[in-house]
Amino acid sequence: MNILETKGLYHDFNRLEVLFDVNLKVKEGERHAIIGPNGAGKTTLFNVITGTYAPSRGAVFFKGEVVTGAKPHRMVRLGMGRSFQITSTFNRLTAFQNIRMGVLSRRGIRFNFFRKVDKMEDITRETDEILKRINLYGERNMPASALSYGKHRSLEISMALATDPDVVMLDEPTAGMSKDETRYAVELIRKLTEGKTAVIIEHDMDVVFSLADHITVLHLGTILASGPPDKIRKNKAVKDAYLGEMEG
Amino acid sequence: MTRRVKGIVGGVILVILALYPWLFGIYFTNVIVTCAIFALFAVSYNLLLGYTGLFSFGHAMFFGAGGYATALALTHIEGCPLLVALLFGFLGAVALALLLSPIVARLAHSAFAMLHLAFSMLLYTLALKLRGITGGEDGIGGFPIPPFRIPGVVSVDMTDPLNFYYFAMAVLCGSLWVAWFLTKTPFGQIIVSVRDNDKRVDYMGFKVPQTKAIIYTLSCGFAGIAGSIYAMFQNLISAAALGIAQSFAPIVMTMVGGVISFFGPIWGAVIFAVIEELTTRYTERVQLVEGLILIIVILFFPGGFIHIVAIVKGKLLGFTRGKGAGLIKGKWFGK
Repeated sequence: MNILETKGLYHDFNRLEVLFDVNLKVKEGERHAIIGPNGAGKTTLFNVITGTYAPSRGAVFFKGEVVTGAKPHRMVRLGMGRSFQITSTFNRLTAFQNIRMGVLSRRGIRFNFFRKVDKMEDITRETDEILKRINLYGERNMPASALSYGKHRSLEISMALATDPDVVMLDEPTAGMSKDETRYAVELIRKLTEGKTAVIIEHDMDVVFSLADHITVLHLGTILASGPPDKIRKNKAVKDAYLGEMEG
Repeated sequence: MTRRVKGIVGGVILVILALYPWLFGIYFTNVIVTCAIFALFAVSYNLLLGYTGLFSFGHAMFFGAGGYATALALTHIEGCPLLVALLFGFLGAVALALLLSPIVARLAHSAFAMLHLAFSMLLYTLALKLRGITGGEDGIGGFPIPPFRIPGVVSVDMTDPLNFYYFAMAVLCGSLWVAWFLTKTPFGQIIVSVRDNDKRVDYMGFKVPQTKAIIYTLSCGFAGIAGSIYAMFQNLISAAALGIAQSFAPIVMTMVGGVISFFGPIWGAVIFAVIEELTTRYTERVQLVEGLILIIVILFFPGGFIHIVAIVKGKLLGFTRGKGAGLIKGKWFGK
């Protein structure tokens, strides 16, 4: 079953067409990588799916429901998490508080005015468990902005996962990371997305081919090819447009 | 500080406040009540600025709305009970906030600040022009201050300054406690997250405009309570309470006290009360002194008084962790 699907998706910025008839199909439980050269429209596709803006035409289906143009908070509540290419955390809050936002969201604790959040022990316990899983427990009380780059990135990815989404959209999770950090991040993503559906935009081909079960190649705003990694690697059009260019 | 130390400090402050009129005489209770009114006003402002990251140039309109609502209720409603008059003040400010929130909750930064300036100027002009209701430049004064009465139980005369002192302090300190508690709830976490990164809050599954509208309305309600007590305390409310100078009072107090901490604005109110009390003995140019202090704080201690305390503590105790360290390293107006 396709847990996430777009049908005939178009998007333009002041008539500059960025997405052109995109039909993306993401199966439940797979790790789906979206690759493509700069300016192919990958992040725009993410933005349209996760609700940053509505598409100019076409439809987005999530869990069989039409969610075209649904706002980000609604998508999160429906079970979609997202991380950003440019690290986006609550910088003056501690690592713990950052993750706790996700836990609160998942538990539906929003407009609660009558209890101290620090006294909600189950929330604290759950948040600490997540911090331990992502090896950030030692930095629990550090402000997000004081974390090292690699840790800051893991925090950002984990915030998306703290809401316990069914589908998690990761926009270049390893952007700007060193080789070691990348290796660590890949393991982390593998561990955290176990049993979930993940859609990942990625430039690093090593990461793509080691993580993804399925690859979609976006080129000039439209899907050039989509299939399992082996097929994509051999695809002539993809080689010409993208992979070849990287090797050459 | 441990829980115990905090409890002791709180207890000591309460005892001092309770014994204050006997220790220092009735004149100085006026200083304290005024200071507490502005402390609540400044704290209500800081719920927007420090906690939610919303900078407003017109918070006085809610202070004024509270004052006018209370004054009007006491003037026109025969036998209006004290607490009802207070409730009117609170609801007056809340009503104004609810009216504005559909517009302002979607704004931030300079648009939010300037729109408030515009609205507060508008209300200021209205207060001057609608003489039939607001009394124009003279304002509304001389309205009766009803006794605090629980039917069949107690009736306390509020025209006695001592009684009023206790009433005002109970209301103001109670409101401060509620505001403080609010910042500790899950909702308090959401608002600081909005301050840090509102887009991400949306992507964590929370509605940003609604969150802003709620904290905005609550903040304005607290300002309304401060205004209401102010009107009863002075037995007068005039357009000055809505004016631009009045809007700057909480801004300056928050800056000088410290925007990052809940208690910063309270310190700010205390500092200004002390400065005013001391400088008026020597000169009438209180604002000159206040302005100089503001300049010094902005240039050298952008975190305010709380920042200075943190530095001193850091030097004495050598702290490298916790809020103090964050205060020393952090930037307060980054965005």
